[in-house]
Amino acid sequence: MSNARTEEPKKTAKIDLHFVTGKGGVGKSTVAAALALSLAKAGKKCLLVELGNQSFYKDYFELDEVGYFPKSLKPGLDIALWSGPECLKEYARHLLKIESLYKLFFENPVTRSLVNIAPALPELAILGKITSGPPRNVGPAMPYDCLVIDAYATGHFLALLRAPLGMSKAVRFGPMSEQSRSIHEIICSAAQSHYYVVSLPEELPVTEALELSKSLESQVGFRPIQILNHVLEGTTDSDPSQTLQPPSLFNEAMRVQTENVRNSQERLKEYKLICLPFVLENQALSVVESLATEFSTELADV
Amino acid sequence: MSNQKLQALLESARVIVCVGSGGVGKTTVASALAYQAAKMGRRVLVLTIDPSRRLRSTMGLGERDLAQVQEPNIKGELWASIIDPKKTFDEFVLRAAQHSKGAEKLLQNPLYIQLSTSLSGSQEFTALERLYSAHESQKYDLIVLDTPPTKHAIDFLEAPQKLSALFSDSVAKWFREPEGQSLLVRVMKSGTRQVLKALELLTGSEFMGELSDFFRNIQGWQKKLEARIADVHGLLVSSTTHFVLVSSLDKAKVMEAQYFAREIKKGGYQLSALIINRIQPYWMAESIERSANQQEIKSSLEQRLIDYYSEREKKVLQVESNIPLIVKVPELRENISDMNGVVEMALRLFEKSSEKPELS
Ligand SMILES: Nc1ncnc2c1ncn2[C@@H]1O[C@H](COP(=O)(O)OP(=O)(O)OP(=O)(O)O)[C@@H](O)[C@H]1O
Ligand SMILES: Nc1ncnc2c1ncn2[C@@H]1O[C@H](COP(=O)(O)OP(=O)(O)OP(=O)(O)O)[C@@H](O)[C@H]1O
Ligand SMILES: [Mg+2]
Ligand SMILES: [Mg+2]
Repeated sequence: MSNARTEEPKKTAKIDLHFVTGKGGVGKSTVAAALALSLAKAGKKCLLVELGNQSFYKDYFELDEVGYFPKSLKPGLDIALWSGPECLKEYARHLLKIESLYKLFFENPVTRSLVNIAPALPELAILGKITSGPPRNVGPAMPYDCLVIDAYATGHFLALLRAPLGMSKAVRFGPMSEQSRSIHEIICSAAQSHYYVVSLPEELPVTEALELSKSLESQVGFRPIQILNHVLEGTTDSDPSQTLQPPSLFNEAMRVQTENVRNSQERLKEYKLICLPFVLENQALSVVESLATEFSTELADV
Repeated sequence: MSNQKLQALLESARVIVCVGSGGVGKTTVASALAYQAAKMGRRVLVLTIDPSRRLRSTMGLGERDLAQVQEPNIKGELWASIIDPKKTFDEFVLRAAQHSKGAEKLLQNPLYIQLSTSLSGSQEFTALERLYSAHESQKYDLIVLDTPPTKHAIDFLEAPQKLSALFSDSVAKWFREPEGQSLLVRVMKSGTRQVLKALELLTGSEFMGELSDFFRNIQGWQKKLEARIADVHGLLVSSTTHFVLVSSLDKAKVMEAQYFAREIKKGGYQLSALIINRIQPYWMAESIERSANQQEIKSSLEQRLIDYYSEREKKVLQVESNIPLIVKVPELRENISDMNGVVEMALRLFEKSSEKPELS
């Protein structure tokens, strides 16, 4: 891979990677944005990355456009949308060097459909791009201290992480295999990669978070951080055995919620755990802002 | 009114496909629709994907992958089945290749193994494959298909086309004909060879070896796969096939639903209903009633939550427009991840729906 190491050596030895995952709808995108914002506020140059070819943050933050090339979202915080084919294109351009060959390659309709779907290629390309900064230094420079990735949900995320190892086993030699191994090394490095599993204070979501965390740990070799999201105010400090007056459905729900928060905390206690409040705001940016503040204090504690 | 429309849908549909992003309630809604149709006397099959353990066992699906659900109110028949993507894909390959040597070799190919388990598109394809074989069997009046979680609802419909592109003749030809052997290769623009060289530079010769092996092996059944995808497409655009989109109460998600509705129409499919699940917490109706009667003073948190959900609903309702039928389902009080939950969900969808039920 000597031809890939064309970049100047970077000052920082690594770019921190923060992967946010969890079951569908638990708040991954919201939590990822909040984490990115809190890191930016702490003075880190941060890139918030969403995966796929359609942007969620565009509608969520009412932005004009979110695309492959980073755009500024807030001071110190950029945002980008990375899809497999686009990551692969960039890598190919970097490796093939010759523009005409590159054009031939990607403008060919057959390659286009192949690249879209060829087994594991898009997955590898995405992880390749995410891990392309130092120390791997493959491809264009990445002027960030950290990346926060609004990653796929449970099964899809595990499949993504499995791709490099799977590929290096299926194909033992050649650049693809080498790249796969070096990507795998980074996603398994506790010093560089951080995983966050988001869940809700309910029985099933916590069960699923625990299952996901087990699989994640067995794949990367260390434990993820747990994020218990949507914790309603008052539910962490009141006594669930005490019946609230009047005996309404609401008060019953609050009691159940308190109990759920307790049980969830208990079940997740073997992990580093961050509880995030349910913010009663319908404006996405306000929710993210107030969760970011929460993150800052929580991360300072950790 | 709305539950009658939904009821009418269940009477006439042959296929219902429940789509939506992860965790919104697709499996629960699909099962509830199937249950309701069975209650009305139809023979129904629900094809579920990755149901919770509790739902699985209360449906009678222990280790088996097809079971008849026993429930006193069912007048017709309710069959439940779980789709196992890997198994379905393997079965399809073996059948398509008529159990030839090539097929068996293919099952061992490392790229095929990746493809059949993790590849984008294969899960969706297998779901549709199961749907089509169940439809062909003519054993059921109605089949309800649950779908795998996708980031966006539209991904589900695009997946088979993507898969079909991979298997299209033009891609496969590249890898199959050893150079110089066929006329085709000779007339092929010299560019193609260069493209292959470029791909080899990117991936290495071993990968290219596996890839061409893979394409050689699928030679026999690729026509069948394409034919199958065409058949499935025909079924999906048929007038008795209806799509039901499940969504959470979320402006961004409902905007996506609008987008999906437009796309789906362009593709010739029918999006017949949008189900907005968990429109408000279960306690909220009672709280509002209580406050209307001025019986109790609400706590400030209670009031803030009511305001929060009401505003959210208002925001979302501003978006809805181009979908013929919108059904709202509140959050349910009990944990509903089993067959009882499915029955409860059906009640909400058809009997206690948010619109006033008509008296019969
Ligand atoms: N702590 C919170 N307080 C208030 N609202 C929240 C919180 N976390 C998430 N939400 C809201 O919940 C909804 C779902 O969150 P989000 O879209 O981030 O989930 P997701 O896990 O990314 O979903 P998907 O799996 O569909 O990508 C959004 O409307 C978001 O604003
Ligand atoms: N209206 C509701 N009230 C209370 N709980 C609900 C409601 N709808 C769904 N649930 C619960 O939410 C969870 C997720 O529902 P379900 O499994 O149907 O979603 P899904 O869209 O199939 O998820 P996935 O994308 O992961 O397959 C289940 O535990 C289910 O019991
Ligand atoms: Mg998201
Ligand atoms: Mg499901």
